[in-house]
Amino acid sequence: MDLKLLRDRAENAFRENGFPTSRDELWRFTDVSPVAAAAFDGAWKPADIPFVPLGSVVAVFENGKLSLEKSNLDGLPAGLHVGSIMDQADERLGSLADAQSAFVSANTAYFSDGLHIQADDGVQVDEPIHLVFLADADGMAFHVRNLISCGAGSKLTVVEEYIGGADDSAYWTNAVTEVFVGDEGTVDHYKVQRESGGAFHFQTIEASVGANAVFSNHAITIGSRLGRNDIRGKLTGEGGEAVCNGLYLLKDRQLFDTHMFMDHAVPQCNSHELYKGILDEKARAVFCGRILVQQDAQQTDAVQSNKNLLLSRGAKVNTLPQLEIYADDVKCTHGATVGELDEQALYYLQTRGIDPAAGHAMLTFAFANEVLDEVKCRPAKAHIEKLVHEWLDQVSA
Amino acid sequence: MALLEIKDLHASVADKPILKGINLTINPGEVHAIMGPNGSGKSTLSNVLAGNEAYEKTAGQVLFDGLDLDELAAHERACAGMFLAFQYPVEIPGISNMYFLKAAVNAVRKYRGQEQLDAMDFLDLVEDKKKVVKIRDDLLERAVNSGFSGGEKKRNEIFQMAMLEPKLGILDETDSGLDIDALRIVSDGVNALRGPDRGFLVITHYQRLLDYIVPDFVHVLVKGQIVKSGGKELALELENEGYASWVGEEGV
Repeated sequence: MDLKLLRDRAENAFRENGFPTSRDELWRFTDVSPVAAAAFDGAWKPADIPFVPLGSVVAVFENGKLSLEKSNLDGLPAGLHVGSIMDQADERLGSLADAQSAFVSANTAYFSDGLHIQADDGVQVDEPIHLVFLADADGMAFHVRNLISCGAGSKLTVVEEYIGGADDSAYWTNAVTEVFVGDEGTVDHYKVQRESGGAFHFQTIEASVGANAVFSNHAITIGSRLGRNDIRGKLTGEGGEAVCNGLYLLKDRQLFDTHMFMDHAVPQCNSHELYKGILDEKARAVFCGRILVQQDAQQTDAVQSNKNLLLSRGAKVNTLPQLEIYADDVKCTHGATVGELDEQALYYLQTRGIDPAAGHAMLTFAFANEVLDEVKCRPAKAHIEKLVHEWLDQVSA
Repeated sequence: MALLEIKDLHASVADKPILKGINLTINPGEVHAIMGPNGSGKSTLSNVLAGNEAYEKTAGQVLFDGLDLDELAAHERACAGMFLAFQYPVEIPGISNMYFLKAAVNAVRKYRGQEQLDAMDFLDLVEDKKKVVKIRDDLLERAVNSGFSGGEKKRNEIFQMAMLEPKLGILDETDSGLDIDALRIVSDGVNALRGPDRGFLVITHYQRLLDYIVPDFVHVLVKGQIVKSGGKELALELENEGYASWVGEEGV
């Protein structure tokens, strides 16, 4: 569809329908009225936030705008194209994420920057492409639109990292990332969200996974006052695989919602989802994971699990794993737990000389670290482990 | 001085009395076996000794290397040189065996006033102990006991024991769930760790394990009390006659 038409339509949808309310089934645990009520009339300024690049290819966005000065997009391997989405016409934009929610509509209507990444067929890039979104402009809304296109037999590793200022500035990140994984292709995708304590953060990630292709996503959430990830995968070719793992570490009065949707449209695909959360103080988490196995999707292997660790009586989790199966020859399991640390494991550590406080810290880290077991990108893993340790140190302090 | 001195030990689980006056002394270098039918209190004894808070000591005294166990929390008992090999070792996803072992070794060394091992020294120690207890490298890299077979878990327990160099090793039904090959490997590890300064308390239901780990003394535990003690031949006697003469025909 013509981009202008798409955007006009999305704007009309957003104006007509507005933000969802708690009467909307998909939003009943997450009240977004603070976002709806805010004005977002803040002025742009350069962002003054430190970050550590995870590789040599880095795209830095300062309060929503790609900064070529802070980025390094030179010397790319042949067949890899990276640039602002505003400069690259791609007719696939909007074909996965159009108007699933008010947030996607608003993004489609108003996006003003984002990254376009394309690996041509057979181009394998091992080094991570690091997208850094720095935000500290109070009162601004950032509608960020990314598109990742991995050609047949290609390989890409992409890390999206959202970093807020230390000043608790109140802004709204509203991101959409569309991911196209061609046949036999591999996209290893990471999202690290550490927005400011005053921020709203919403992102929809939509992936379409071709035959014998692999899409893997790890979503790590530490920041924002109120936020949500919608992570949606569609397995469109036989032999495809999707791994969607996540970890949310929440404290204070943070509320973070994860909605996962995995659509098995064809036979012989696997999807695995492991989501874990650690909640302290009065934090709240929502997890809704839905696996749809369509009638044709025989020999589907789908596993979904959501486990939560509550460090305080005031913390709360709403978890809703859902299976919707229309095929008869499938292997699907799901489960959810909410609890405290395993007393027997603490005792086991003690009998090995590890004191209760150290054992507590070790088991809490172990609980979180299980999510990282499948992380293949070493720089991303080291970075995330460090963030997890920092968070745990803050909580135990 | 005795390594372990248990005097009139009484203990309860969830307010139900299980141990009803145990007396037992283990000297350095000795291997004692405790045999008994299901429900006789074998696991309660090992848990009370190791300091499991779910088990309550209600009377009596236990001295370990001259220290009153009442004064020591579970981790302090481990640091002081007590090691419990679990009947059901706990799986800990998210922590590699190596990371866990290094934390344990350094916790124990800290308590004993020894220097902390750095990564290189620790690897040297691991290589050294692998000569005593054979363990595959991939088991050391994997998360603690996660997805290990029954035999691998028990071997991991014995490897941990080798690493922590305890004064007293308590083996809680280490033979349960092991086939003959695994039993032999685990027993070889324990036998290699026997020495004049180290004692063992081997808790088992079956005589079979004692073919491999030959004890100096055998005690029969029935209904929370030691009803008979003797040499290693007592185990054979039990194998032939069972526990029926103590527990009655109705069993326990």
